[in-house]
Amino acid sequence: MRFKKMTSLALAAFMAVGITACSGGKSEGAKDSPSASASQSGDGASPSASAGSEGGLDHSKELELTVFSTTANYAGEQTGWYGKILKDKFNIKLNIIASNLDGGQNKIAAMMASGNLGDIVVFGDNTTDYPNAIKGGLLLDWTKDGLLDKYGKDIVASFPKAIEKAKVAFGDGKAVYGIGNNVASNQPGPSEGKDLTWGPELRWDLYQKIGAPAINTPQDYLQVLKKMQELEPKNENGKKTYAFSMWADWDGNYKMMVAKQFANMYGYDENGNTLLYVAADQDKYYEFLSDDSWYMKSLKLYFDANQMGLVDPDSLTQKFDDVVGKYKDGRLLFCWFPWLGSANYNTPERTAQGKGFATVPFKEEKVYSWGFNQYGSNWVMAIGAKAKDPARIMEFINWLYTPEGAMLSTGGGTAIQNGPKGLTWDIDKDGKPFVTDFGWKAFADQKGTIVPDEYGGGTYYDGMSQINFPNVAPGLTNPETGEPYDHNLWTTSLKRNPSKLDSEWREKMGALTPKEYFVKNNMIAVAPQGFTGKPPLLMDKALEQKNAQIGTVIQQYSWKMVFAKDEAQYNKFKQEMLDKVKGLGYDEVLAFSVKKAEELFEARKSVTQ
Amino acid sequence: MSVPATHLAKHGSAASKPGRRLPNKYKLFLMALPFFIITFIFYYLPIYGWIYAFFDYIPGIPLDKTPFVGFKWFRTIAENPTQTQEVLRVMKNTVAMSGLGIVTSFLPVIFAILMTEIKTGWYRRIVQTLTTIPNFISWILVYSIAFTLFSVDNGLVNTLLIKFGFIDEGINFLANNNNVWLAMIAWYWWKSLGWGAILYLAAITGIDQELYEAADVDGASRFRKIWHITVPGIMPTFFVLLLLSIGNFVNNGMEQYFAFQNAMNKDTIEVLDLYVYNIAFSNNFAFATVVSMLKSIISVFLLFLANGMSKWIRKESII
Repeated sequence: MRFKKMTSLALAAFMAVGITACSGGKSEGAKDSPSASASQSGDGASPSASAGSEGGLDHSKELELTVFSTTANYAGEQTGWYGKILKDKFNIKLNIIASNLDGGQNKIAAMMASGNLGDIVVFGDNTTDYPNAIKGGLLLDWTKDGLLDKYGKDIVASFPKAIEKAKVAFGDGKAVYGIGNNVASNQPGPSEGKDLTWGPELRWDLYQKIGAPAINTPQDYLQVLKKMQELEPKNENGKKTYAFSMWADWDGNYKMMVAKQFANMYGYDENGNTLLYVAADQDKYYEFLSDDSWYMKSLKLYFDANQMGLVDPDSLTQKFDDVVGKYKDGRLLFCWFPWLGSANYNTPERTAQGKGFATVPFKEEKVYSWGFNQYGSNWVMAIGAKAKDPARIMEFINWLYTPEGAMLSTGGGTAIQNGPKGLTWDIDKDGKPFVTDFGWKAFADQKGTIVPDEYGGGTYYDGMSQINFPNVAPGLTNPETGEPYDHNLWTTSLKRNPSKLDSEWREKMGALTPKEYFVKNNMIAVAPQGFTGKPPLLMDKALEQKNAQIGTVIQQYSWKMVFAKDEAQYNKFKQEMLDKVKGLGYDEVLAFSVKKAEELFEARKSVTQ
Repeated sequence: MSVPATHLAKHGSAASKPGRRLPNKYKLFLMALPFFIITFIFYYLPIYGWIYAFFDYIPGIPLDKTPFVGFKWFRTIAENPTQTQEVLRVMKNTVAMSGLGIVTSFLPVIFAILMTEIKTGWYRRIVQTLTTIPNFISWILVYSIAFTLFSVDNGLVNTLLIKFGFIDEGINFLANNNNVWLAMIAWYWWKSLGWGAILYLAAITGIDQELYEAADVDGASRFRKIWHITVPGIMPTFFVLLLLSIGNFVNNGMEQYFAFQNAMNKDTIEVLDLYVYNIAFSNNFAFATVVSMLKSIISVFLLFLANGMSKWIRKESII
């Protein structure tokens, strides 16, 4: 009995001590968390790195940098050709931590709570984590000790607006904590490569076989696709073909992701994670759930398509990878995006026979396009507050924004990184860049092409810059060559022997690339990329929560509506959805959305005049 | 655990001479001390984290610079009628899934008994291995197995049904709001039946063989032996596990439901853990903390309730 009493007393005492002790323990843990950061290993192996290049920095010691990238899809040491270039030029080694592979938002939160974000930090958006990291004192101010002026000269000279945005939006007008991606100088027109983000694409060969009927509105695709499906009801392996195959695992902020795509083809886009679609080139918007909204019209369109047997019945339950497989196997006839349809179906063997996906726009189309952004897009590259050798890091980041750095490593989507000069590309006698035969092989089969040892070895794919941060817009003109950085857009590339599919398409459409076609026919809405000169408006936590709940309701009901049994059930689900979101605070979120749209319109003024 | 300890302690203190050596009761306490410390560190210290429920916490910003919001996040749970309905719907699913789990928790008992009745050693080992393996397959992989079996377009089951002429068009088993609870409990047991039986197998091995021999002498049949010896022999184990599962009533976990959820079955599949994941875990730590706090409190309450019932019905307490 006495023993029991004593233990319980002891336990109580422990708890009391512990609770008082741990209030201090928490913050302490944050301070001295293991810093896997810059460690200068002076193993004496002083390589060819030119000690004392621009800025007179000493490169004799190898610098190992921890790169925390929320956009990377690779974790570990940067190897291959890009690793070799960095080693030779700067004597640095990159160790990449990728939150995408390691818990996503939870990993980011854990890194933030630990108080150390590594040496170089890449944020996938500038609305939450980045401003919070600044508030928490986790990032280095580039203006401290004249770092930016001394070692970031090229950034300051070429992209002053990007620095201005960093100061005004995030640095109280004076400090610079980071710089955006896809930064450009002042250049009009769309910033994309040869393809835009949207097509839409059809199986070109089948479309031609049914006589290439005119398509005026998205609804017209349904009859066309029905005929195409009748022409080829089964693929090469005897499996059924469909027009639309959808997937739900990307829905998240976009509500039902595939239902927003026609809005984009009409030149509207969702404005952040809000309830409005905003026009690319005019100060106009409409409500997500209104009857004019192309989100709602798309739901109806897919519903009709499903009634006609055009929708893959597994759309509800499959994942994105399953859809990619179906495009590869030739089981689908329509695609919203060039980066999904033609990127997966169009093999050299198929295009040589004239088979493949190609852009077939509708008459009313005005496809959304992003203009060049002098302020940079909303990803951010920053330096951690505890970085060991900020001068050398700054020098490296600066290089990424020079023509030399951009030519090697900028890219994204179908704009594959160009690779090392002399191997995958070179400059011809007229001073024009061209892709070598090895280069075309490497770009087409990135994982199967081995890079020679003198360029770093490994496969081309593994050797690409794995930070996943296109510093300079790939479509931007390189001042040294007069051609864009993206090799797809070089004159030599466009004139290179086209496949049967390409030549047929070019002949019928009267343009070399989809981008040229859209621009020529004035079927493009370029959104100017500006900046208000103020910190961005943010939802407070409570509104954010309401918005998330409304989002999940819309998402769920959208799918139910598309797969409704009949028109009556479709309307019933629609009404249920509208009632439910109203109850969850739709009006409040809408009011914020309008303010957010006005902010965008104000921002545009900074570039339109 | 405390019963033999006190017994020993009394015995020890009577035998040792007072004053010369450390009394046994202190020795025993010191022996137990490391475990108290571990329990404290891993089970009591984390409760400190509850403090985040009262702040608009953002990772990276210290708490002293974070606004204190009091019970704001507690109130959001019942802020308006639609919201309350959502919570009620989620609670209904949680109760249903956990209830079904408890109601069917005798399945591994039966399975374990049947398994010990298999007399061919190699066959029993094969059965046991094959039924235990699914426990180590992650839910995401289980879902991809389900998808290959049940997808409309190319799934094994639909293809067979169409080939044999039972149906003309594929049935979308996975995107179906009917019988979601039953389907989920079936998948659950497919995955954990073999694993759940392990403890019972151990309990059965622990039953004194002489009891069976005596029953044999009395001419008891196989069924009688099971009913009068095996079943009472594993009842204590069963009740311990039952109590623990009642304590875990609101913790269904989310992996299974996350993998299987889609727009059609979301209304009935969304359990509390999944709801919290879908709504809050993206970046709202305060709300997630509130929900986990409430869950802990409910769990402790349920555990004591179950223990009280056990005391009342079986005159045996576990805690």
